[in-house]
Amino acid sequence: MADSNSRDKKSKSQHPAKGSGHGTSSWGDVIRNSSDTHRLFVFAGGIGGVALLLSVALGMGDFKRFQYSYLVAFMWTLSISLGGLWWVTLQHLVNAKWSIVVRRVGELIAANIGLMAILSLPIVVPALLGNSDLYVWVDSHRMQENHVLHQKSAYLNVPFFAIRVVVYFGFWFLLSQHLLKSSLKQDSEKADTQTVRLRRLAGPAMMGVALTLTFAAIDFLMSLNPMWFSTIFGVYYLAGCVLAIHASLALTLLWLQKRGVLVKTVSQEHFHDIGKMMFAFTIFWAYIAFSQFMLIWYANIPEETHWYLLRAENGWLKVTWFQLIGHFILPFAFLLSRHMKRSRTALALGALWVLFVHYVDMYWLVMPTTFVEGPEVHILDLTCWVGLTGVFVAAVAYRARGLNLVAVGDPRLETSLAFENV
Amino acid sequence: MPTMAGTAGMITLTRPRQLEEPQMSEMHHKKPESQEDAPLFGLLAEYNTPSELILASQKVRDAGFTRWDTFTPFPVHGIDRAMGIKMTRLPWLVLGAALAGLSLAIWLQWWTNAVDYPWIISGKPFWSLPANVPIMFELTVLFAGITAMVGMLVMNGLPEPAHPLDLKRRFARATDDKFFLLVETRDPRFDEVLTRSLLEKSHPAALEDVPEDRTTSAQIPTGLIYGLIVLTAIAVVPFALFAKARTTKSRNTRIHAIADMDSQPKFKTQRENLIFADGRSMRDPVAGTVAQGQLRDDDALYLGKVNGAWARTFPSQVTPTAELMDRGEQRFGIYCAPCHGQSGEGDGMVHLRASKLGQGWVQPSNIHQQYIREQPVGQLFNTITHGIRSMPAYGPQISAEDRWAIVLYLRALEKSRAANLGELTAEQRQNLK
Amino acid sequence: MATLWSETNPYLGAPKGDTDFARITDNVARVAEAAKPPMGWYIAFAIALTMLTGFGASLAWVSWTGIGAWGNMHPVAWGFPIVNFVFWVGIGHAGTLISAILFLLRQTWRTAINRFAEAMTIFAVSCAGVFPGVHIGRPWMPYYMFPIPNQMNMWPQFRSPLEWDIFAVGTYFTISLLFWFMGMIPDFATLRDRATTTPRRLIYGIVAMGWRGSSRQWHRYERAYLLLAALATPLVLSVHSVVSFDFATSQAPGWHTTIFPPYFVAGAIFGGFAMVVTLAVPARQFFGLKRLIEIRHLELMNKVILATGMMVGYAYGMEFFIAWYSGNPYEVFVFVNRAFGPYAWAYWTMIACNVLIPQLHWFQKVRTNVWCTLAIGVVINVGMWFERFVIICTSMSRDFMPANWGYFVPSTIDYLTLGGSFGLFFTLFLLFCRFLPMVAIAEVKGAHRDAHANHGGHGGHDHSHAPETA
Repeated sequence: MADSNSRDKKSKSQHPAKGSGHGTSSWGDVIRNSSDTHRLFVFAGGIGGVALLLSVALGMGDFKRFQYSYLVAFMWTLSISLGGLWWVTLQHLVNAKWSIVVRRVGELIAANIGLMAILSLPIVVPALLGNSDLYVWVDSHRMQENHVLHQKSAYLNVPFFAIRVVVYFGFWFLLSQHLLKSSLKQDSEKADTQTVRLRRLAGPAMMGVALTLTFAAIDFLMSLNPMWFSTIFGVYYLAGCVLAIHASLALTLLWLQKRGVLVKTVSQEHFHDIGKMMFAFTIFWAYIAFSQFMLIWYANIPEETHWYLLRAENGWLKVTWFQLIGHFILPFAFLLSRHMKRSRTALALGALWVLFVHYVDMYWLVMPTTFVEGPEVHILDLTCWVGLTGVFVAAVAYRARGLNLVAVGDPRLETSLAFENV
Repeated sequence: MPTMAGTAGMITLTRPRQLEEPQMSEMHHKKPESQEDAPLFGLLAEYNTPSELILASQKVRDAGFTRWDTFTPFPVHGIDRAMGIKMTRLPWLVLGAALAGLSLAIWLQWWTNAVDYPWIISGKPFWSLPANVPIMFELTVLFAGITAMVGMLVMNGLPEPAHPLDLKRRFARATDDKFFLLVETRDPRFDEVLTRSLLEKSHPAALEDVPEDRTTSAQIPTGLIYGLIVLTAIAVVPFALFAKARTTKSRNTRIHAIADMDSQPKFKTQRENLIFADGRSMRDPVAGTVAQGQLRDDDALYLGKVNGAWARTFPSQVTPTAELMDRGEQRFGIYCAPCHGQSGEGDGMVHLRASKLGQGWVQPSNIHQQYIREQPVGQLFNTITHGIRSMPAYGPQISAEDRWAIVLYLRALEKSRAANLGELTAEQRQNLK
Repeated sequence: MATLWSETNPYLGAPKGDTDFARITDNVARVAEAAKPPMGWYIAFAIALTMLTGFGASLAWVSWTGIGAWGNMHPVAWGFPIVNFVFWVGIGHAGTLISAILFLLRQTWRTAINRFAEAMTIFAVSCAGVFPGVHIGRPWMPYYMFPIPNQMNMWPQFRSPLEWDIFAVGTYFTISLLFWFMGMIPDFATLRDRATTTPRRLIYGIVAMGWRGSSRQWHRYERAYLLLAALATPLVLSVHSVVSFDFATSQAPGWHTTIFPPYFVAGAIFGGFAMVVTLAVPARQFFGLKRLIEIRHLELMNKVILATGMMVGYAYGMEFFIAWYSGNPYEVFVFVNRAFGPYAWAYWTMIACNVLIPQLHWFQKVRTNVWCTLAIGVVINVGMWFERFVIICTSMSRDFMPANWGYFVPSTIDYLTLGGSFGLFFTLFLLFCRFLPMVAIAEVKGAHRDAHANHGGHGGHDHSHAPETA
């Protein structure tokens, strides 16, 4: 309490419109921060950049390993951005009121997609150049090996893949920028034109997100094993994205509050809701993961089971068990209690854990394709992850500088500020 | 309606509310130990809006009262805090029940399908955890849900058939559109004057005395008790009948309620058939007749006998050729090898298994023994046809021609163990080296 | 028709009461309290009872003569019974979603329709439960399905999705019933306190269990309600997932596909909401509930219908794409056969009803029009029935061995059973409308703006002053 009071005084003395870097809202809270975000940008960007360069250097020696490690880290960071895009679209679609104070942060995370497009190049470009270390189907000769692959090559071929990648990132870029820009415009307009427009747009936009996300997951992840298929795969990746964005929202907001921003705006109630969503989607992820597994296990058709057999043998069995315990049972038990969801520390720990197990999930999806004996942790795993995460965080921080971190113009803002949980 | 007053407790909860007269005149109809001298139970304040109730509650809470409550037609947001109501323990109860349901589901599926009566189905392990998950989930939810509901009722003290507030006419609107606050005299801080003035300060729409309920009997109506006893007695009867049926014997046939196709009107082998004088269902063939293909007048072919003695050569219909030998080998493998072994030494699979079981098994004959080698082919044929000692008759299963093929093969088998070097051709002798 | 809407209809006219709360009470309670409902109710009840009798007769006939009375044949051994079962279970899902999931999502608009929808769930699941019971051929031996110790020392086969169904639907029915009943306790108390005749007083009094609206009791009640809602949410997802496992665990092409669980759940909600709106439109008209079940409620439900319809469409698309992608010729054949084989008429009916026509709900004019709402609701129910028909009968009629192929034709008893099940549903539903509180009185009051205390700058939804720090 004393803390926020002192910050109140600080912000009052630095009354806005003086380029102070700290903006105050009408309810007396700090909603802009340029100094800390700038520092974060430099710090994260620096570390990220160095790690990326290191990854590239190491990758020169072992390009295949680089590609795999990079893909894991890329799909992890992409899932946060895509999760953000999905989440913001959803809030508009269902006219959610509790999340308005939180939405700007989500919009900023989603707006990162442009960067993700560039960061996808280390995966896409080698494919374009014919390198089939990662994706077997890049090699059109391999695709003639059997009848099934041959038939699939109408979809799994480099030119069509390139077109699809452009479509995915193009759509995501346009949508995320539009959502952010409209929201920013509303800050000054303070009318509900944007809200109404975006609500109308959200329906078709959501359809687009669903389809592009599904096919991106198929292209980047499912096609690693071109002989395998699962109709629920897109939903599986989506579940991971939703978990990732909620964990990221929680951590971002907690970090901001530690820096004195949004202290009065985002309350225990909002964190409770974020916690509830993390809890609910932990269950949802487990439901989807179990459905996929159990159906394939039950019918026991070799055409489908080989994918799971890879993950049930040798060293991967431990990781599969970890998915059950670490990705479902532990977060479920941890987030079950109301108290945990309302405690900032507990939520932060929960969010960190969720992001960690989500990384393990990506690892588990990608690595057994080629490392059949078991997980072979490599320095490239770490450098790629640090690199991509650092650059990701830096980009969000960069985009956030000078912007209101709350959608001040939203007509339903008051409801969100006053929101209380059951 | 006045006649209902003062009898069974259950009826009090349904006390009519739309009386046009105040309650006083009604009470004169009652028996002694009446409502008139009933002591005070509590003070009831009535409010028109939730906010007023909240404010009043805060006052009462802050004054330190503990035996008091508010009554609203719907749960008022913020009343918990205003009254200082602590979070209920119900969620913990539900969590416990959920874990109990989960454990039961795991144990049930493991014990029934993997321990008590394990059987293979579609190649799944006896204890298939992935297949058990749906029921694990369902029983968790079932137990948790029932506990939530029943636990809530029990912790709320429901059903609560009678309460002094039922006698207050205005209180009927607690389930409609008015908000009430009751402070009971049982509260240590209760003081009739001070508490009344505290409540009056909250500007209630009405402030009434609530007398204790002297009209409701605390006893369960006798009719209900008798009814329950009778019902329980009736309910026990079927189980008593089951117990009797399970523990006694009867000469009557079972009651077979759903016939299905269990008793079919057809004649089975050992059944009685009264059409015939001897009463048997199985009939002998008509005297002096032979079924077609059953004449079997060639003793040499069908019995292995020539002029009453064992045949020493194969019958004319059977020519020993390489094809017959192959046929004999194949038939031997099907019918004879399980007991006598592929080599005829009596070490077939059945012998190996049966001797392990050790239940008085005699080893099948080794056909290489001298006395069997010396038997004429007709005698061998007869053994196959009619069996010998423990060996069953194979005549009904194997046609006569095939039996002669087996005899041919047997002779070849015997020869394989008992050949002289002199019987070999030069070429065969070369191969031995 | 005019007499149905005349002044003698006790359900119409302004509700009595000097406060909004009192008027809400009267609006709903008077329906249950009316001594004689209008003629229209009797007519509808008579029709429903007739259909119910037909249902009973057809079931009795099947039990007496055997399953041959149905059109089930080789290779379509699972015909109408399971289509009807999945159809009815699916419809039940809307009620739980409205009660439980919308409660967790704090959508207060649900209070106008949740009682109604929950009742629908109970009745729909009752209809659904009949089919597994009778289709086993020897309905006097249902104990095989349950883990009851018996003289044969036999236990159910727990590794079978059909056994999971028993537990899932059984749990679903039980929990829905508890949830529905618990929700009605405060409303029974209201009816008890307003009752003028002794039988009503006694009956409502007994089921109200002495509820008096004590806040201490409300506290535990609210907690139990939240717990039941939190339990019912994954439960409703699991129930139709388990039903989908009936098909997805098999190896049949067109059935064995991993997206079935969420796809079936989305389809169930889709069909269920369609049934809710189909019933809500005439009910609000006839029972005078237009003040409580407003156009905006219908519009919101139509939006849910549109959203779940899109999810179903997504699933159709994914099935189709992955069938091609898998390169499995049998899988591809199934989909080609559905669209162009002998049952193409069923397939395109399904597409038209489930994918094309609901698109009309993109337009606000359609969403807010009661007749369109009703018509599209009926169309969707037809479409969802056909979806199950297509999945089950089409796939089975063209199975692995061409020598087995056959065309399933439903028998008269099949039609009678399907139609008759609606009889059971509507009979129960009309009885519910007549005697039980159709709208959640206490919950509607709780969501009313007057229900929120304006005290000390906390709580409430229409403030414009700064909130306290949390």
